[in-house]
Amino acid sequence: MRPADLLRRTSFRFVITMALFVLAALLLAGAVGYGLMHAQLTARQDARVTEIFASLEQTMLADDAQDLIEVVTARIAASPDHASVYLLKSASGQVLVGNIPDFTAKPGWSMADATQLGIVTDYPYRLFTGIVGAFSLTVGLSDGDLDDLRELVAAALGWAALAVLVAAIGVGWVLAHRMQHRLDRVDAALHLVAQGDLAARLPSTGQGDDLDRITQSINAALERLADVVTAMHTVSTDIAHDLRTPLNRLRIRIETASQKAGTGQSVVDDLAAAMAEGDQINETFTALLRIAQIEAADRRTQFQAVNLTALLQNLVALYAPVAEDAGMTLVAVNAPDAQIDGDPDLITQMLANLIENSIRHCPPGSMIECGLVQRAAQVVVRVADTGPGIPLAERSAVLRRLYRLERSRTTDGAGLGLSMVKAIVDLHHAALTLGDATQGAHVGLAVEIAFPRSL
Amino acid sequence: MRILMIEDDVTTADYASRGLIESGHSCDVLGNGADGLFQATRESYDVIIADRMLPGLDGLSMVRALRAAGIKTPVLFLSALGGINDRVEGLESGADDYLTKPFAFAELLARVNALARRPPVQAIKTKLQVGDLELDLILRVARRAGQLIDLLPKEFILLRVLMQAEGRVMTRTMLLERVWDFHFDPKTSVVETHISRLRAKIDKPFEAALLHTVKGVGYSVHAPR
Repeated sequence: MRPADLLRRTSFRFVITMALFVLAALLLAGAVGYGLMHAQLTARQDARVTEIFASLEQTMLADDAQDLIEVVTARIAASPDHASVYLLKSASGQVLVGNIPDFTAKPGWSMADATQLGIVTDYPYRLFTGIVGAFSLTVGLSDGDLDDLRELVAAALGWAALAVLVAAIGVGWVLAHRMQHRLDRVDAALHLVAQGDLAARLPSTGQGDDLDRITQSINAALERLADVVTAMHTVSTDIAHDLRTPLNRLRIRIETASQKAGTGQSVVDDLAAAMAEGDQINETFTALLRIAQIEAADRRTQFQAVNLTALLQNLVALYAPVAEDAGMTLVAVNAPDAQIDGDPDLITQMLANLIENSIRHCPPGSMIECGLVQRAAQVVVRVADTGPGIPLAERSAVLRRLYRLERSRTTDGAGLGLSMVKAIVDLHHAALTLGDATQGAHVGLAVEIAFPRSL
Repeated sequence: MRILMIEDDVTTADYASRGLIESGHSCDVLGNGADGLFQATRESYDVIIADRMLPGLDGLSMVRALRAAGIKTPVLFLSALGGINDRVEGLESGADDYLTKPFAFAELLARVNALARRPPVQAIKTKLQVGDLELDLILRVARRAGQLIDLLPKEFILLRVLMQAEGRVMTRTMLLERVWDFHFDPKTSVVETHISRLRAKIDKPFEAALLHTVKGVGYSVHAPR
């Protein structure tokens, strides 16, 4: 990995950023610690100066300065390296004794460095000047300990900072390298997908970390994409297959008509048949498009409160005469006031499809019942008939597009009624069940659709 | 009637305009949206038939521009976009009716006729009369030759829609839309069945038929001619 490349890695940048924060925190902590320690040591030093000053003050009896001068001289002798400094001056300002040249310190606490005091050491001094009897006494201690401390802290902080930086760059490099390895594999898999291999999946480490979770999400999305593409492929194959037959019939009609026209025969019937064939093709196509649109689910935004009871009663009122003319009976039973959230147009179409299916597939004399049942969290619509039913083995197949029961292949209709019902059911997050409608010894078809009850 | 047709498919435009002229209307045909908008603002027409997908200016924008300019000429969209939302979108743009391609000419003609003679809002009648058949829209009762006719609610609406269009043909699809609010094509003879029930009530007991079947097109209510 080149250094410029390294800087572009998210994980490396992250570690470096963290290191800089740690460094800042370290410096702040060092500064605060140093400040506290400095204050503590200064206070201690002041106490020592005060102590020395007080003990000297006590050796001063009456106005006799001789004792004081002797004690100071002794102390000066004990501090040849100027660790402590002393200066005793008379009231007139004459130096009586001292290990520093004449120096005018202001009364009370002050600081002065060695050059100001006229001596040669490396440290500044803490001074206290006060009046003892008729004299002015200055006592001072070198700041050497504090200065050493300052240097120590600075060195410690420097080494710590260096260690943090080195560790950060090292760890960052390793992390960036490992992360890059994982990302490279993800990238490679996505590249395969982009090239059209929808079966490719991202490698998962199974560690359950965030990258792993994203990997799993992407895999789930790929799964869905593959399903959709497969479904689309199936539909286009179905369309090609199921539209070719009527298109071929259409072509034959037109060819026949043009041959007849050539010999001067009437072609009115052929043209009418051709038109009907065209209409049938259009109808199949419209239904397929509609199902595709419903499945694309862009209509949930138009959901509103739908009174299923009223809707069902209207449909039964509409279809009852149609059923009656076909020699059947269509009735609505058990219809309490049921509300759901949905698209009224689509639900109408769905129920109309179910009722029309029953009317078209039942023999005269059949009974069709439309009912509503309210369960805890569901509203169930049930359309049951006493017709031929659907064999158990074919029940899931009839929900597929363009599927027709073998025995009804010869009847008209595109076989899209139930798949449209299924699409509308799915859009409403409802559940569709094809079951038996037992009526004595006879078993008909019962279609149940359970809608989630509106909130 | 003066009709403006804005349609870029030459075959469709020729077919429809020829039919309209044969039915006694005059028809100007233009091939793009911008020209259509200009022509519609310059001259006055009874009905505008517009394709939704036009070169230059698309149909939706054209109708919006027309409505914004205060032109209230009824517009019928003719479109290959038969999607569920496409119709709603078309009507929301300010069009008055929507017909999906492919269409039968009879359906187009019936819809154009229905659009052109829409009564102005103030002139909506509360009582309709065709021959000796009366429909009171407020009391919701029907009488023929003074005799009360018992109608179911939907039969009443069906009769009202037909009587409001007196003398004009209502197609099966138009009735499905206007009476039952169905925007799909049922596979059973719903309309035929209800028309025959209605006929049994308003025509059968009487001498002259008022509800006529126009073969291959639809139904029409008018006094005997």
